[in-house]
Amino acid sequence: MLRRWGWPMLVAVLAALGVLLAIADTALYGPTLGPYATFLIGPSQGVNFVPRQSPDSGRFIKNRFPEKVSFGSPFGRLGTVSPLQALRAFLSNGAGLVLLALAVLLLFPNRARVAVQRLEGRHGIEIALAAGVAAFLLAIGAVALLRFTLIFLAVIPFVILIAGAVALFGIACIALALGRLLQRRLHLGPAHPLVAAVAGALVVFDLAVIPYLGAVALAAVAIAGLGLAAVTRFGSETGWSFGDLDW
Amino acid sequence: MNALACARVRVLLEPYVDGDLAHNDPETARAVGDHLVTCADCRRQHQQAVSLPFRMKALRSPAPRATLVAGVMGSIAPQPQAARAAWGLLVPEALLGAFILWYVSGLDGLTALASGAWSNLQGLAFWGSGTAPLPNVPVADVLLLGAFITLTAIAAYHLSLLAKLDQSAIPRFTEHRGA
Repeated sequence: MLRRWGWPMLVAVLAALGVLLAIADTALYGPTLGPYATFLIGPSQGVNFVPRQSPDSGRFIKNRFPEKVSFGSPFGRLGTVSPLQALRAFLSNGAGLVLLALAVLLLFPNRARVAVQRLEGRHGIEIALAAGVAAFLLAIGAVALLRFTLIFLAVIPFVILIAGAVALFGIACIALALGRLLQRRLHLGPAHPLVAAVAGALVVFDLAVIPYLGAVALAAVAIAGLGLAAVTRFGSETGWSFGDLDW
Repeated sequence: MNALACARVRVLLEPYVDGDLAHNDPETARAVGDHLVTCADCRRQHQQAVSLPFRMKALRSPAPRATLVAGVMGSIAPQPQAARAAWGLLVPEALLGAFILWYVSGLDGLTALASGAWSNLQGLAFWGSGTAPLPNVPVADVLLLGAFITLTAIAAYHLSLLAKLDQSAIPRFTEHRGA
Protein backbone atom coordinates (compact mmCIF):
# COMPACT_ATOMS: atom_id res chain seq x y z
CA MET A 1 0.00 0.00 0.00
CA LEU A 2 2.85 2.35 0.87
CA ARG A 3 4.45 1.77 -2.49
CA ARG A 4 1.24 2.61 -4.29
CA TRP A 5 -0.15 5.43 -2.18
CA GLY A 6 3.08 6.61 -0.60
CA TRP A 7 3.70 9.55 -2.90
CA PRO A 8 0.14 10.97 -2.87
CA MET A 9 0.07 10.57 0.92
CA LEU A 10 3.45 12.29 1.28
CA VAL A 11 2.43 15.22 -0.91
CA ALA A 12 -0.86 15.57 0.95
CA VAL A 13 0.87 15.46 4.34
CA LEU A 14 3.47 18.03 3.27
CA ALA A 15 0.75 20.31 1.88
CA ALA A 16 -1.30 20.02 5.06
CA LEU A 17 1.82 20.65 7.14
CA GLY A 18 2.54 23.73 5.04
CA VAL A 19 -0.93 25.16 5.68
CA LEU A 20 -0.68 24.40 9.42
CA LEU A 21 2.74 26.01 9.65
CA ALA A 22 1.45 29.01 7.71
CA ILE A 23 -1.41 29.33 10.22
CA ALA A 24 1.10 29.21 13.05
CA ASP A 25 3.33 31.66 11.24
CA THR A 26 0.58 34.22 10.92
CA ALA A 27 -0.64 33.65 14.46
CA LEU A 28 2.77 33.86 16.12
CA TYR A 29 3.77 37.05 14.41
CA GLY A 30 6.70 38.27 16.44
CA PRO A 31 7.72 41.88 16.59
CA THR A 32 11.24 40.75 17.46
CA LEU A 33 12.02 39.87 13.88
CA GLY A 34 9.91 42.67 12.48
CA PRO A 35 8.64 42.23 8.97
CA TYR A 36 11.05 39.37 8.30
CA ALA A 37 9.06 37.03 10.53
CA THR A 38 6.20 36.56 8.09
CA PHE A 39 7.57 38.11 4.95
CA LEU A 40 6.36 35.17 2.91
CA ILE A 41 2.77 35.37 4.03
CA GLY A 42 2.37 38.81 5.49
CA PRO A 43 0.98 39.62 8.92
CA SER A 44 -2.58 38.69 9.63
CA GLN A 45 -4.90 41.63 9.67
CA GLY A 46 -5.87 41.35 13.30
CA VAL A 47 -2.37 41.42 14.71
CA ASN A 48 -1.78 43.86 17.47
CA PHE A 49 1.75 45.09 17.34
CA VAL A 50 3.55 45.44 20.61
CA PRO A 51 5.48 48.68 20.51
CA ARG A 52 9.11 48.18 21.36
CA GLN A 53 9.81 49.90 24.65
CA SER A 54 12.97 51.90 24.84
CA PRO A 55 15.04 50.70 27.78
CA ASP A 56 14.82 52.65 30.93
CA SER A 57 17.89 54.81 31.09
CA GLY A 58 18.03 54.26 34.83
CA ARG A 59 19.02 50.67 34.30
CA PHE A 60 22.36 51.76 32.97
CA ILE A 61 23.30 54.04 35.84
CA LYS A 62 25.84 52.03 37.71
CA ASN A 63 25.31 53.51 41.17
CA ARG A 64 21.64 52.78 41.11
CA PHE A 65 20.43 49.26 41.53
CA PRO A 66 17.55 48.51 39.20
CA GLU A 67 14.26 48.00 40.93
CA LYS A 68 13.03 45.52 38.44
CA VAL A 69 14.61 43.79 35.48
CA SER A 70 12.08 42.49 33.06
CA PHE A 71 12.70 40.27 30.12
CA GLY A 72 10.26 40.79 27.31
CA SER A 73 8.94 37.73 25.59
CA PRO A 74 10.53 37.35 22.18
CA PHE A 75 7.37 35.80 20.86
CA GLY A 76 5.12 38.81 21.24
CA ARG A 77 1.39 38.38 21.40
CA LEU A 78 -0.63 35.77 19.68
CA GLY A 79 -2.04 37.12 16.48
CA THR A 80 -5.24 36.20 14.80
CA VAL A 81 -5.46 32.63 13.64
CA SER A 82 -6.37 32.89 10.00
CA PRO A 83 -6.67 29.57 8.18
CA LEU A 84 -7.99 31.28 5.07
CA GLN A 85 -4.96 33.52 4.82
CA ALA A 86 -2.67 30.54 5.37
CA LEU A 87 -4.46 28.60 2.65
CA ARG A 88 -4.19 31.59 0.36
CA ALA A 89 -0.47 31.82 1.10
CA PHE A 90 -0.06 28.14 0.35
CA LEU A 91 -1.98 28.38 -2.91
CA SER A 92 -0.01 31.41 -4.05
CA ASN A 93 3.52 31.18 -2.66
CA GLY A 94 3.62 27.41 -2.31
CA ALA A 95 2.18 26.74 -5.73
CA GLY A 96 4.45 29.39 -7.21
CA LEU A 97 7.51 27.77 -5.68
CA VAL A 98 6.46 24.32 -6.90
CA LEU A 99 5.74 25.58 -10.41
CA LEU A 100 9.01 27.48 -10.65
CA ALA A 101 10.95 24.44 -9.46
CA LEU A 102 9.19 22.23 -12.00
CA ALA A 103 9.79 24.76 -14.77
CA VAL A 104 13.51 24.87 -14.01
CA LEU A 105 13.73 21.07 -14.01
CA LEU A 106 11.80 20.86 -17.28
CA LEU A 107 14.00 23.47 -18.93
CA PHE A 108 17.35 22.14 -17.70
CA PRO A 109 16.95 18.43 -16.89
CA ASN A 110 20.53 17.48 -17.68
CA ARG A 111 22.03 20.34 -15.73
CA ALA A 112 19.69 19.67 -12.81
CA ARG A 113 20.79 16.03 -12.77
CA VAL A 114 24.45 17.02 -12.61
CA ALA A 115 23.80 19.54 -9.82
CA VAL A 116 21.75 17.06 -7.78
CA GLN A 117 24.48 14.46 -8.19
CA ARG A 118 27.03 16.89 -6.80
CA LEU A 119 24.71 17.74 -3.91
CA GLU A 120 24.25 14.05 -3.12
CA GLY A 121 27.99 13.46 -3.34
CA ARG A 122 30.54 13.57 -0.56
CA HIS A 123 30.36 16.85 1.42
CA GLY A 124 27.87 18.10 -1.17
CA ILE A 125 25.72 20.06 1.26
CA GLU A 126 28.66 21.65 3.07
CA ILE A 127 30.32 22.66 -0.18
CA ALA A 128 27.06 24.11 -1.50
CA LEU A 129 26.51 26.13 1.68
CA ALA A 130 30.08 27.44 1.82
CA ALA A 131 30.01 28.26 -1.88
CA GLY A 132 26.66 29.97 -1.36
CA VAL A 133 28.13 32.19 1.32
CA ALA A 134 31.10 32.99 -0.94
CA ALA A 135 28.86 33.67 -3.95
CA PHE A 136 26.54 35.82 -1.87
CA LEU A 137 29.45 37.87 -0.52
CA LEU A 138 30.86 38.12 -4.04
CA ALA A 139 27.54 39.44 -5.32
CA ILE A 140 27.23 41.88 -2.41
CA GLY A 141 30.78 43.11 -2.93
CA ALA A 142 30.30 43.46 -6.68
CA VAL A 143 27.02 45.33 -6.27
CA ALA A 144 28.56 47.62 -3.65
CA LEU A 145 31.51 48.40 -5.92
CA LEU A 146 29.26 48.98 -8.92
CA ARG A 147 27.15 51.31 -6.80
CA PHE A 148 30.01 53.82 -6.63
CA THR A 149 30.33 54.08 -10.40
CA LEU A 150 28.12 55.85 -12.87
CA ILE A 151 28.84 53.74 -15.93
CA PHE A 152 28.26 50.39 -14.29
CA LEU A 153 25.37 51.47 -12.09
CA ALA A 154 22.95 50.15 -14.69
CA VAL A 155 24.57 46.71 -14.44
CA ILE A 156 23.37 46.23 -10.85
CA PRO A 157 19.84 45.04 -11.75
CA PHE A 158 21.34 42.46 -14.11
CA VAL A 159 23.69 41.19 -11.41
CA ILE A 160 20.76 40.85 -9.02
CA LEU A 161 18.61 39.24 -11.71
CA ILE A 162 21.30 36.71 -12.60
CA ALA A 163 21.95 35.91 -8.93
CA GLY A 164 18.22 35.40 -8.41
CA ALA A 165 17.90 33.14 -11.44
CA VAL A 166 20.93 31.12 -10.39
CA ALA A 167 19.56 30.77 -6.85
CA LEU A 168 16.21 29.66 -8.27
CA PHE A 169 17.93 26.96 -10.30
CA GLY A 170 19.74 25.82 -7.15
CA ILE A 171 16.53 25.80 -5.11
CA ALA A 172 14.86 23.63 -7.76
CA CYS A 173 17.80 21.21 -7.62
CA ILE A 174 17.65 21.16 -3.82
CA ALA A 175 13.92 20.42 -4.06
CA LEU A 176 14.63 17.46 -6.34
CA ALA A 177 17.39 16.24 -4.02
CA LEU A 178 15.04 16.51 -1.03
CA GLY A 179 12.39 14.53 -2.90
CA ARG A 180 14.90 11.82 -3.74
CA LEU A 181 16.05 11.77 -0.12
CA LEU A 182 12.47 11.30 1.07
CA GLN A 183 12.04 8.53 -1.48
CA ARG A 184 15.06 6.68 -0.12
CA ARG A 185 14.35 7.25 3.55
CA LEU A 186 10.63 6.44 3.41
CA HIS A 187 11.17 3.51 1.01
CA LEU A 188 8.63 4.91 -1.41
CA GLY A 189 8.01 3.26 -4.72
CA PRO A 190 9.41 4.53 -7.99
CA ALA A 191 7.83 7.72 -9.25
CA HIS A 192 8.36 10.34 -11.89
CA PRO A 193 11.22 12.67 -10.90
CA LEU A 194 8.89 15.64 -11.06
CA VAL A 195 6.72 14.07 -8.35
CA ALA A 196 9.79 13.87 -6.15
CA ALA A 197 10.54 17.48 -7.03
CA VAL A 198 7.01 18.52 -6.01
CA ALA A 199 7.48 16.83 -2.64
CA GLY A 200 10.88 18.49 -2.22
CA ALA A 201 9.52 21.91 -3.15
CA LEU A 202 6.77 21.46 -0.57
CA VAL A 203 9.45 20.68 2.02
CA VAL A 204 11.16 23.95 1.09
CA PHE A 205 7.86 25.81 1.44
CA ASP A 206 7.24 24.16 4.81
CA LEU A 207 10.68 25.25 5.96
CA ALA A 208 9.98 28.80 4.81
CA VAL A 209 6.80 29.13 6.89
CA ILE A 210 8.20 27.83 10.15
CA PRO A 211 7.32 30.54 12.65
CA TYR A 212 10.24 32.89 13.37
CA LEU A 213 12.81 30.66 11.68
CA GLY A 214 11.20 30.53 8.25
CA ALA A 215 13.14 33.48 6.89
CA VAL A 216 16.42 32.02 8.11
CA ALA A 217 15.60 28.57 6.72
CA LEU A 218 14.59 29.98 3.33
CA ALA A 219 17.71 32.15 3.25
CA ALA A 220 19.83 29.07 3.99
CA VAL A 221 18.15 27.12 1.18
CA ALA A 222 18.53 30.04 -1.23
CA ILE A 223 22.19 30.50 -0.33
CA ALA A 224 22.85 26.78 -0.68
CA GLY A 225 21.06 26.88 -4.04
CA LEU A 226 23.16 29.83 -5.15
CA GLY A 227 26.29 28.00 -4.09
CA LEU A 228 25.26 24.75 -5.75
CA ALA A 229 24.58 26.50 -9.04
CA ALA A 230 27.81 28.52 -8.80
CA VAL A 231 30.04 25.63 -7.86
CA THR A 232 28.67 23.37 -10.60
CA ARG A 233 28.73 26.18 -13.18
CA PHE A 234 24.95 26.01 -13.53
CA GLY A 235 25.00 22.21 -13.58
CA SER A 236 27.67 21.91 -16.24
CA GLU A 237 29.15 18.41 -16.60
CA THR A 238 32.65 19.73 -17.16
CA GLY A 239 32.68 22.00 -14.13
CA TRP A 240 35.03 24.92 -13.68
CA SER A 241 38.18 24.66 -15.74
CA PHE A 242 40.56 26.99 -17.48
CA GLY A 243 41.58 24.19 -19.83
CA ASP A 244 39.79 25.81 -22.76
CA LEU A 245 41.93 28.92 -22.36
CA ASP A 246 45.13 26.89 -22.45
CA TRP A 247 45.68 25.75 -26.01
CA MET B 1 35.82 -36.21 -35.56
CA ASN B 2 34.12 -35.03 -38.76
CA ALA B 3 35.87 -32.57 -41.04
CA LEU B 4 34.83 -29.00 -40.41
CA ALA B 5 33.15 -26.83 -43.01
CA CYS B 6 34.89 -23.64 -44.12
CA ALA B 7 32.23 -21.43 -42.57
CA ARG B 8 32.67 -23.09 -39.21
CA VAL B 9 36.46 -22.80 -39.42
CA ARG B 10 36.24 -19.06 -40.17
CA VAL B 11 34.21 -18.61 -37.00
CA LEU B 12 36.73 -20.58 -34.98
CA LEU B 13 39.80 -18.91 -36.46
CA GLU B 14 40.03 -16.11 -33.90
CA PRO B 15 40.02 -18.33 -30.79
CA TYR B 16 42.26 -20.73 -32.66
CA VAL B 17 44.84 -18.00 -33.30
CA ASP B 18 44.55 -16.70 -29.75
CA GLY B 19 45.12 -20.18 -28.39
CA ASP B 20 41.84 -20.23 -26.54
CA LEU B 21 40.45 -23.01 -28.67
CA ALA B 22 43.40 -25.32 -28.01
CA HIS B 23 42.99 -24.66 -24.33
CA ASN B 24 39.24 -25.13 -24.12
CA ASP B 25 38.57 -27.64 -26.85
CA PRO B 26 41.75 -29.39 -28.07
CA GLU B 27 39.89 -31.79 -30.34
CA THR B 28 38.19 -28.99 -32.30
CA ALA B 29 41.48 -27.13 -32.45
CA ARG B 30 43.08 -30.18 -33.96
CA ALA B 31 40.24 -30.42 -36.51
CA VAL B 32 40.72 -26.76 -37.46
CA GLY B 33 44.45 -27.43 -37.96
CA ASP B 34 43.66 -30.41 -40.19
CA HIS B 35 41.27 -28.29 -42.21
CA LEU B 36 43.84 -25.59 -42.70
CA VAL B 37 46.25 -28.13 -44.19
CA THR B 38 43.75 -29.06 -46.90
CA CYS B 39 41.92 -25.72 -47.57
CA ALA B 40 43.88 -22.94 -49.30
CA ASP B 41 41.24 -20.23 -48.70
CA CYS B 42 41.04 -20.89 -44.97
CA ARG B 43 44.82 -21.08 -44.79
CA ARG B 44 45.04 -17.59 -46.29
CA GLN B 45 42.53 -16.30 -43.73
CA HIS B 46 44.56 -17.95 -41.03
CA GLN B 47 47.76 -16.32 -42.19
CA GLN B 48 46.11 -12.92 -42.20
CA ALA B 49 44.71 -13.50 -38.73
CA VAL B 50 48.07 -14.62 -37.44
CA SER B 51 49.89 -11.72 -38.96
CA LEU B 52 47.46 -9.08 -37.61
CA PRO B 53 48.44 -9.33 -33.93
CA PHE B 54 52.07 -9.26 -34.91
CA ARG B 55 51.49 -6.20 -37.01
CA MET B 56 49.66 -4.54 -34.17
CA LYS B 57 52.45 -5.39 -31.79
CA ALA B 58 54.89 -3.85 -34.21
CA LEU B 59 53.06 -0.52 -34.05
CA ARG B 60 54.71 2.12 -31.94
CA SER B 61 52.68 3.50 -29.06
CA PRO B 62 52.14 7.23 -29.25
CA ALA B 63 54.25 9.08 -26.73
CA PRO B 64 52.20 10.45 -23.82
CA ARG B 65 52.06 14.16 -23.20
CA ALA B 66 54.67 15.46 -20.85
CA THR B 67 51.98 16.68 -18.45
CA LEU B 68 50.05 13.39 -18.39
CA VAL B 69 51.71 11.84 -15.35
CA ALA B 70 51.67 15.09 -13.41
CA GLY B 71 48.02 15.63 -14.31
CA VAL B 72 46.97 12.15 -13.25
CA MET B 73 48.94 12.29 -10.02
CA GLY B 74 47.61 15.73 -9.27
CA SER B 75 44.02 14.66 -9.81
CA ILE B 76 44.24 11.58 -7.61
CA ALA B 77 46.41 13.03 -4.88
CA PRO B 78 44.61 14.17 -1.72
CA GLN B 79 44.49 17.93 -1.36
CA PRO B 80 44.25 18.60 2.36
CA GLN B 81 45.69 22.07 2.01
CA ALA B 82 43.11 23.10 -0.57
CA ALA B 83 40.32 21.67 1.57
CA ARG B 84 41.63 23.46 4.66
CA ALA B 85 41.93 26.72 2.77
CA ALA B 86 38.45 26.30 1.31
CA TRP B 87 36.90 26.11 4.77
CA GLY B 88 39.36 28.45 6.44
CA LEU B 89 38.54 31.33 4.11
CA LEU B 90 35.15 31.61 5.80
CA VAL B 91 36.94 33.28 8.72
CA PRO B 92 38.40 36.29 6.84
CA GLU B 93 35.12 36.61 4.96
CA ALA B 94 33.20 36.75 8.23
CA LEU B 95 35.69 39.24 9.68
CA LEU B 96 35.51 41.48 6.63
CA GLY B 97 31.73 41.23 6.57
CA ALA B 98 31.58 42.19 10.23
CA PHE B 99 33.98 45.09 9.65
CA ILE B 100 31.89 46.40 6.73
CA LEU B 101 28.72 46.07 8.76
CA TRP B 102 30.34 47.95 11.62
CA TYR B 103 31.78 50.59 9.29
CA VAL B 104 28.47 51.36 7.60
CA SER B 105 26.63 51.32 10.94
CA GLY B 106 24.98 47.96 10.65
CA LEU B 107 22.09 46.80 8.56
CA ASP B 108 20.64 50.30 8.45
CA GLY B 109 23.78 51.51 6.70
CA LEU B 110 23.59 48.69 4.18
CA THR B 111 19.92 49.45 3.61
CA ALA B 112 20.82 53.10 3.05
CA LEU B 113 23.46 52.03 0.53
CA ALA B 114 20.92 49.88 -1.29
CA SER B 115 18.22 52.54 -1.30
CA GLY B 116 20.74 55.10 -2.50
CA ALA B 117 21.71 52.80 -5.34
CA TRP B 118 18.04 52.32 -6.20
CA SER B 119 17.35 56.05 -6.28
CA ASN B 120 20.46 56.58 -8.41
CA LEU B 121 19.24 53.89 -10.80
CA GLN B 122 15.90 55.65 -11.06
CA GLY B 123 17.73 58.92 -11.66
CA LEU B 124 19.76 57.25 -14.39
CA ALA B 125 16.59 55.97 -16.04
CA PHE B 126 15.01 59.43 -15.91
CA TRP B 127 18.20 60.94 -17.28
CA GLY B 128 18.04 58.44 -20.13
CA SER B 129 14.54 59.60 -20.95
CA GLY B 130 15.68 63.19 -20.81
CA THR B 131 13.50 64.26 -17.91
CA ALA B 132 16.14 64.60 -15.22
CA PRO B 133 19.80 65.54 -14.80
CA LEU B 134 22.49 62.92 -14.40
CA PRO B 135 22.44 61.54 -10.84
CA ASN B 136 25.31 62.25 -8.52
CA VAL B 137 27.24 59.16 -7.56
CA PRO B 138 28.32 59.33 -3.91
CA VAL B 139 31.96 59.84 -3.13
CA ALA B 140 33.38 56.48 -2.13
CA ASP B 141 35.17 56.04 1.14
CA VAL B 142 38.59 54.59 0.37
CA LEU B 143 38.59 52.26 3.35
CA LEU B 144 35.13 50.97 2.49
CA LEU B 145 36.10 50.49 -1.14
CA GLY B 146 39.23 48.61 -0.07
CA ALA B 147 37.18 46.39 2.22
CA PHE B 148 34.68 45.62 -0.53
CA ILE B 149 37.44 44.90 -3.06
CA THR B 150 39.19 42.60 -0.59
CA LEU B 151 35.92 40.86 0.23
CA THR B 152 35.15 40.37 -3.46
CA ALA B 153 38.62 39.00 -4.19
CA ILE B 154 38.56 36.61 -1.23
CA ALA B 155 35.05 35.43 -2.09
CA ALA B 156 36.03 34.81 -5.72
CA TYR B 157 39.14 32.89 -4.68
CA HIS B 158 37.09 30.96 -2.13
CA LEU B 159 34.55 30.04 -4.79
CA SER B 160 37.28 28.78 -7.11
CA LEU B 161 38.73 26.61 -4.30
CA LEU B 162 35.30 25.20 -3.52
CA ALA B 163 34.69 24.45 -7.19
CA LYS B 164 37.91 22.43 -7.27
CA LEU B 165 36.95 20.71 -4.03
CA ASP B 166 33.56 19.90 -5.49
CA GLN B 167 35.03 18.31 -8.58
CA SER B 168 37.14 15.97 -6.47
CA ALA B 169 33.97 14.79 -4.76
CA ILE B 170 31.93 14.13 -7.89
CA PRO B 171 30.23 10.76 -7.77
CA ARG B 172 30.17 8.59 -10.85
CA PHE B 173 27.02 8.92 -12.92
CA THR B 174 26.61 5.15 -13.28
CA GLU B 175 26.80 4.61 -9.54
CA HIS B 176 23.81 6.83 -8.95
CA ARG B 177 21.89 5.51 -11.88
CA GLY B 178 22.19 2.05 -10.44
CA ALA B 179 21.19 3.13 -6.96
